[in-house]
Amino acid sequence: MTRILAALAVAAALAAGTALAAGPRDTLLAGYVAEAGAPASAARGEAFFKATHSGGKPDTASCTACHTADPRSAGRTRAGKPIEPMAVSVSPDRFTDPAKVEKWFRRNCNSVLGRECTAAEKADVVAWLTGQ
Amino acid sequence: MYRATADQHEEPRSRTGGPVRTVRVWDPFVRIFHWTLVAAVAVAAATGLLADAPWIDVHVWAGTVMAGLVAARVVWGFLGPGSARFAGFVVGPRAVLAHLRELRTGTAGRHLGHNPLGALMVLALLAAAAGLALTGVVAYGGVLKAGPLAFTTGYTDGRAVLEVHELLAYFLLALIALHVAGVVFESRRSHENLARAMVTGRKPARPDDHLPAARPARPVAAAALALATLGIAAAGLGTLAARPPLGVPTAALDPAYAAECAACHVAYHPSLLPRASWTALFDGLDDHFGEDASLDPATTGRLRAWALANAAEAYDTKAANRLRAVEPAAPFTITGTRFWQRTHADIPDSVFAGSAVVSKGNCEACHADARAGRFYPGNIRIPAPTESHP
Ligand code: HEC
Ligand code: HEC
Ligand code: HEC
Repeated sequence: MTRILAALAVAAALAAGTALAAGPRDTLLAGYVAEAGAPASAARGEAFFKATHSGGKPDTASCTACHTADPRSAGRTRAGKPIEPMAVSVSPDRFTDPAKVEKWFRRNCNSVLGRECTAAEKADVVAWLTGQ
Repeated sequence: MYRATADQHEEPRSRTGGPVRTVRVWDPFVRIFHWTLVAAVAVAAATGLLADAPWIDVHVWAGTVMAGLVAARVVWGFLGPGSARFAGFVVGPRAVLAHLRELRTGTAGRHLGHNPLGALMVLALLAAAAGLALTGVVAYGGVLKAGPLAFTTGYTDGRAVLEVHELLAYFLLALIALHVAGVVFESRRSHENLARAMVTGRKPARPDDHLPAARPARPVAAAALALATLGIAAAGLGTLAARPPLGVPTAALDPAYAAECAACHVAYHPSLLPRASWTALFDGLDDHFGEDASLDPATTGRLRAWALANAAEAYDTKAANRLRAVEPAAPFTITGTRFWQRTHADIPDSVFAGSAVVSKGNCEACHADARAGRFYPGNIRIPAPTESHP
């Protein structure tokens, strides 16, 4: 269900083109999808987000280390500060500031995977969390 | 008009059963002064020597009351009745030696007011209390950057004077012990309860008493002088205390710093680390305590410059002074410094880990003025574990 919705949203965004996009989140996602050259998959995004990775820093092997496995509940940084939920239904401002999204993808992917995330991975994660 | 002999009356009963003529020795001011001073010194000593740093405000209030009492007693020493007047009991060294000789030979008579040794003790106690108040104000201004001298006293000077303040405190406690011993000794020697006399103001009258010179008290003049002094002192000290304290951060945090460096934890005030530490920290943002906290180069450069301009070297607070040296083992960890660990050693780990604090680095949970870089101990409040995280 979510997968279909996300696919529809991506398709709609692509079809409308950036000029007619509904908002900055759609523009962002469309950009990642275009860069990846393939449609986003919310299911892949969820699996990526919840997986335990290697190659990153030892204390942060998974996105869930800080964001928790439930995107609708608040997370917590390693220093103890609360993090707003990642699900757009709970935190409507998520993924609306491209510079912020890019900054945190760069940092968090580097911490968790030891490398930057690919455009496809970003598209998948944003697609999944947008539908949550 | 006070005259020792004019105020005698019969007390209902006495130790021997018969009525005893008593005479008024201590006027109400001296008695109230004495016991209020006891209370103020007790509170100041307990909060200064035993209690934790957050009691500082109570300590300063107790010290202020003590200073006011001493000032009022000095006024009364010139305008009070005979037994309260300095001129009525302060005697020269020859009289003190003579009194000592009489004590040794057992021929010393009883002094209705202060005897020569007691007079010396009164002066020593008043001087020690005044010295404590003066050194206290300087130390308070220099170390904690509060009070009337905060605008001009440096931390190093404040620290040095604080040492004197502590020595004086022990000196005063020793004097008090001697004073009490003297009261016990003299009470036994003259078969009377001197402590009770300081409550009731009266002593049994005896024919061979040394009477203090009878002098009229001038209560109206004394009250006017004391009130005028109090008013001028309060206004003057208040004006001085309102001046900006020396070397205390006043500017708000740089907005970009407050946003970027408070994403994962509280925004640490730059005065909490020296320049060398900030340089190392900003050089290593891509591996910051096991995380990538990197920023774009332009922002990194700007925030680094701002932190260097506001580093520990730029301020004179206690925190800035104590955290100004780089800790080799943890070059930019505030909670890793020996100063921080010693200061917080009495706080159980469970408090830091509790839901209200969460981590040692969450300074703002306990220090209401952490964000401003002040860290005044009177602003510390350890939250109850059930309170929710801000
Ligand atoms: C070490 C803790 C930590 C880990 C691990 C972590 N994040 Fe984050 N993430 C944060 C913090 C802190 C923020 C910024 C706080 C906020 O936006 O509420 C953030 C923000 C984000 C944002 C920006 C959201 C927005 O509002 O624009 C994205 C996207 C993100 N994280 C994705 C990820 C992904 C994907 C992973 C796993 C690869 C991950 N995070 C792992 C701590 C973490
Ligand atoms: C991505 C998350 C993140 C960001 C962004 C971040 N930090 Fe940190 N910082 C941490 C973590 C994690 C720790 C270690 C805390 C702990 O162990 O409790 C830490 C610790 C610190 C400490 C030591 C605190 C102590 O315990 O004494 C300082 C100082 C510090 N950070 C400064 C900064 C500054 C300055 C910035 C902005 C340039 C910044 N941090 C941005 C995650 C972050
Ligand atoms: C759990 C509460 C708590 C936290 C968190 C905490 N402190 Fe404290 N701090 C205290 C208490 C209590 C004292 C007083 C200790 C004493 O009695 O001397 C204190 C004292 C201090 C003092 C000395 C104040 C003075 O003038 O005597 C400084 C400086 C200080 N803390 C800095 C920090 C910094 C920096 C942080 C964060 C990295 C921090 N504290 C985190 C509770 C806390």
